Amino acid sequence: MKFIIQRELLLESLQHVMKAISPRVAVPILTGIKIEALPTGIKLTGSDSDISIESFIPKEEDGLVHVEDIETGSIVVQAKYFPEIIRKLPLKTVEISTDDNYQMTVVSGGSEFHLNGQDAMEYPQLPVLHTDNSFEIKHDVMKEMIKQTVFAVSTVETRPILTGVNMKIDNGEMTFVATDSHRLASRSVKLAEDFVHIQFNNIVIPGKSLAELNKIIDESDDSLTISVADNQILFQTKNLYFLSRLLDGKYPETDRLIPEVSKTSVKVKTKTLLQAIDRASLLAKENRNNVVKLETRDNALQISSNTPEVGQVTEDVITDHIDGEQLKISFSAKYMIDALRIIEEDNVIVHFTGAMRPFILYPENNDHILQLILPVRTY
Amino acid sequence: MQRFEELEHVQPVAVRMLKQMITNQRIAHAYLIHGDSGTKKRAIAQTLALRLFCQETDTIEPCLTCRDCKRVISGNYPDLHWIKPDGLSIKKEQIEALQREFTYSGVESNRKVYIIEDADLMTVNAANRLLKFLEEPSQETTAILLTKNQQQLLDTIRSRCQVIALRPLSGQAIEQALIESGVTPENARLFQAVAPQLDQAKALDQDEWFAEARKLMVQLMQLLIDKPEEALLFVEKNWMNHFDDRDKLLMGLDLLLYWFKDLMYLHIGDIEHLVLLSYKDQLEQASLRYRRIDLVNILTAITQAKRKLNQHTHPTLVMEQLTLQMQR
Repeated sequence: MKFIIQRELLLESLQHVMKAISPRVAVPILTGIKIEALPTGIKLTGSDSDISIESFIPKEEDGLVHVEDIETGSIVVQAKYFPEIIRKLPLKTVEISTDDNYQMTVVSGGSEFHLNGQDAMEYPQLPVLHTDNSFEIKHDVMKEMIKQTVFAVSTVETRPILTGVNMKIDNGEMTFVATDSHRLASRSVKLAEDFVHIQFNNIVIPGKSLAELNKIIDESDDSLTISVADNQILFQTKNLYFLSRLLDGKYPETDRLIPEVSKTSVKVKTKTLLQAIDRASLLAKENRNNVVKLETRDNALQISSNTPEVGQVTEDVITDHIDGEQLKISFSAKYMIDALRIIEEDNVIVHFTGAMRPFILYPENNDHILQLILPVRTY
Repeated sequence: MQRFEELEHVQPVAVRMLKQMITNQRIAHAYLIHGDSGTKKRAIAQTLALRLFCQETDTIEPCLTCRDCKRVISGNYPDLHWIKPDGLSIKKEQIEALQREFTYSGVESNRKVYIIEDADLMTVNAANRLLKFLEEPSQETTAILLTKNQQQLLDTIRSRCQVIALRPLSGQAIEQALIESGVTPENARLFQAVAPQLDQAKALDQDEWFAEARKLMVQLMQLLIDKPEEALLFVEKNWMNHFDDRDKLLMGLDLLLYWFKDLMYLHIGDIEHLVLLSYKDQLEQASLRYRRIDLVNILTAITQAKRKLNQHTHPTLVMEQLTLQMQR
């Protein structure tokens, strides 16, 4: 293998793939970066076996030549040293070559490094993904969907499947659902016309992977291509491939959890409610569940919290309207704050079905977002 | 040794069982392979893993040349998890990490294998965590537990595995293994005779007590020939001090037994089976001093002394009586 490459570009690519590499892995080869020289460009791969990131540097782009003199081949080098070396090289271009004994030579200006590498055959094989069940979505929509659901995944491993976000596609609509069995966040989006035929049901993407993906894709109008294989999902931007393993198991049926009828419905300013709950939770933090109480009044919601050792707080929040039965309900302030924070619209609508039943929140004029919270039993 | 064919020489029964299962495509979800050290537990586990992952083979053997096989051997196959004791035990955290790993789908295929070495060293917490995990295997998961001591495992774990017992190594195999690990051929012969297991035999090489015991045994034998009247005194002063409890004295008696057995072998001209190879010269000299019938009587006396010792007769008395019997 041999090529000459622009140092800046290589460094940028390295920074992307380094995000996937973790120093503590079970498989020794994964402490390395795989470098592949293809006739069309250079491909770098980093992985911790849960997620894998591939970054591609094309030979030419918009008439600019990035890589020259490519002789194809591949190698795995230590991720601990390689990026640092590239960062500190003197010239704008770097010449990289390998020999048959997996020795890599890095030359830039007067400096010459020899690195011991490993056989690229030892590196895990990433699945080849079929393009016929792939679809596209805009970067910013994807980022929004991740932000609005991933916070609700379970952080405890008792039910591992709940540490993921369930992706469903049906009738050209993609839905993300996350729940930790105390609250649920759901977000859906219409896909473009071309992808109506695609259907997925039980795809569960680890929450951690999505959070990582969110950091990697930039906010732009570009499209992200998503493909699903047996055991991995691929998110693909122009020159970056992000692969994540899926969670194994059946995601619980969540549709039935969402109450269809409501006994009390409230419309209220999102920000006002959020701030009121936030204030009330100041005193609630002392008790174990961070519980606040909500009570309907004529034209207002009374938010209160009482921790005997510390003190108590009450606040009235004026609502736009309240319909239905009178209600007293307690719930976790943290869950409520999480749910309200992701709602960007001015007004939020809350549907209650009794003090012991879960309630739902969604923004006014937007049924793509739905948040469900289970109340807390208090005496 | 990475092929069943080679392993079959060492462990015919176990390997034939595994081969049957592969041919019939009836791979169990969990195996417990137990046997003493040196019985090729790891090699068998690795070969089984190789066969499960190898995609190039149609036979019972893995191909050993494809990319998957090579990576299993080098430890780089991402869906094979090999757990070894972290220090003195296998900790809860190691099993937790394994469980977390198994909530994900496989990296390359959906087949996953985990091998737990020295499974008896799992802490109680770790064992209980594993149990839950063994009970509900996801499809295409194979667990291979290796242990030297299957009795130390929880009953509940044992009952969930298909148990494969490896037969102990033969004396020759232990001797061969000892020579391979750097023990001199003379010592290897003696160690394998004294210790029935490879571990114990290896430990003898470093054991000062045992070295001293050998020396004392030869001294006593020389005394019996040169100055028989001093033998009792020697037993009183040196022998009993060194062999100061029942088990040690039994070992001493075993050494005596080998000495006289070797004399007998010399008498009948069977040099092949000599145990105390390092004292061949002394043995040859001594053999001239005993008649065959004397040797038979002494051998009987030693076995009787051993029996008495096991019946809790006073050790000093047993040894004194034996010395007198050997003097004649």
